[in-house]
Amino acid sequence: MEFLARMHESLQNHFDKNAFYIDEKFYSYADFAIEISKIRQAIALSVHDSEKIVGLIANDDLYTYASIIALWLEAKAYVPINPSHPIERNEEIIEATEIKYILDSAKGQYKNCQLLNHTYQETVPINIKPKPIEKNDLAYILFTSGSTGAPKGVPISFSNLNAFISAINFDGDFKLKPSDRCLQMFELTFDFSVVSYLFPLLSGACIYTVPRNAIKYFYIYKLLQNHKLTVLSLVPSIIHYLRPYFSEIKAPQVRYCSFGGGALYRDITYEWVKCIPNSKVYNYCGPTENTIYSSGYTINESCKTHNDIISIGKPLPEITYIIIDENNAELPLGEIGELAIAGPQLTPGYWKNDEKNKATFFEKKHQGQILRFYKSGDLCFKDTDENYMYIGRVDFQVKIRGYRIELSEVEFHAKKMAQNTDLIAIDILNKLENTELVLVIASEPFDTSEILTYMKSKLPDYMIPAHIKFLKEFPHNANGKIDRNTLRMLFNQEIP
Amino acid sequence: MENQEILEKIKPVFTEALGHENFELNESSSTSDIDGWDSLSHMIIIGEIEKVFNIKFKLFDLMTMHNVGDLIKSIQKNIS
Repeated sequence: MEFLARMHESLQNHFDKNAFYIDEKFYSYADFAIEISKIRQAIALSVHDSEKIVGLIANDDLYTYASIIALWLEAKAYVPINPSHPIERNEEIIEATEIKYILDSAKGQYKNCQLLNHTYQETVPINIKPKPIEKNDLAYILFTSGSTGAPKGVPISFSNLNAFISAINFDGDFKLKPSDRCLQMFELTFDFSVVSYLFPLLSGACIYTVPRNAIKYFYIYKLLQNHKLTVLSLVPSIIHYLRPYFSEIKAPQVRYCSFGGGALYRDITYEWVKCIPNSKVYNYCGPTENTIYSSGYTINESCKTHNDIISIGKPLPEITYIIIDENNAELPLGEIGELAIAGPQLTPGYWKNDEKNKATFFEKKHQGQILRFYKSGDLCFKDTDENYMYIGRVDFQVKIRGYRIELSEVEFHAKKMAQNTDLIAIDILNKLENTELVLVIASEPFDTSEILTYMKSKLPDYMIPAHIKFLKEFPHNANGKIDRNTLRMLFNQEIP
Repeated sequence: MENQEILEKIKPVFTEALGHENFELNESSSTSDIDGWDSLSHMIIIGEIEKVFNIKFKLFDLMTMHNVGDLIKSIQKNIS
């Protein structure tokens, strides 16, 4: 596999350089290679070749990152598990993937799983040469919010990931150097983390991580200020938070800044660009199902926008975008419809979920070839200059801090504790123009602490409503459905 | 202003922003001790404290804030 061969070469050639800055401490590529070798040895000793998937508790330390690379070099996939998420949700993931082994630097206990301990005392020979990869071998499985109350798994293969790396490197526009200092602000359960550690590692650059309990935007500013970061991968909410302080931010050393994971608005982007005047700025877009980024737009002085949202640009090389109607028929240029995506970055399909796969993937002849398409759930249109514009979601999925959330999953869990009450989850924009989750209950006000406590035991923090509102009655639209738009308008104004 | 006095003034800001009172606020309290004190509520807390004391924090002060003690120190600096 091409990118693993490059990884081997890069690890080997940069031993004396720093690879990571984690919790105020630097680790060199040599430190990293040693840690990888120890974990590889532990894997090789205990895990049979046929066990292709291993759980990884994302403690975000050197061991965690070394585990990812060790598993890849052993031709195995990692399933990241966030230790701050409710144990029940994590157990669901372990059960669904049937993993038998777990890597955890904190040495926790997991049902039906064996903990892989590496031997700390022994010195092991450096072993960073990749094993051969077979065509369908997986690199990772990420779990995202599912509408039926259970998270759904998105497997990504080594060849998906390889296609993605080739696509990003295709025109040489984005090229990291060993002297680059790169931000990694994402949870490993979110695929933007992969770009944030993978490209620096392939280039011998240093990765600066953000601790889980830090106030993210301030910590990022601190890293920018104290360590003069040169490469940033961000979600739009970060700059919304930093906006009141833009006048204090001067980071001329930044070379690249990529956005993704939500609508990027023109005005704030132009203001932000003044803080990083020498940087190339990209707006990327793409579902986890199509390996991290599917299309990109380079920010310039006269950005294309629709409703002030910056264009999501053109599909990466080898990727096909089409705009379809409800019957999967392609729409004429300029018409709004659902974006469907095909190409070598596309996941083999949801993990053990035939029903969902039948509903989400379809085959269609396109320019003389039968392609397998994924229905993204995003409403878009294609402009006359080939750039795509994002309008919104087809379904009830929203993005909070970059995470995709099915509103029905939030409602499902809230209803368990609030039986016989009508409730609905909506997304609203707060004053900082960040999306927040609001639970609206059709009732006289009552104490909701029980509901919240229950939800916190079932769902990760980004799925917990930031506000609970009471209404005597829900507004309905002409079809008799609860009118989410009216509800949004009602509360948009109120939330600080 | 005494630190204790500042602490008493900022307590209701936390209660309002976090939507609960299940926490003890002292100079060593940090985001990991207080339920719901995250990126979002922090922004609200900072904004409200600026209003209460009629001050404006510098980004530099905010980035070096690790606990409530640092917050109080920064308020002291700004009001003096």
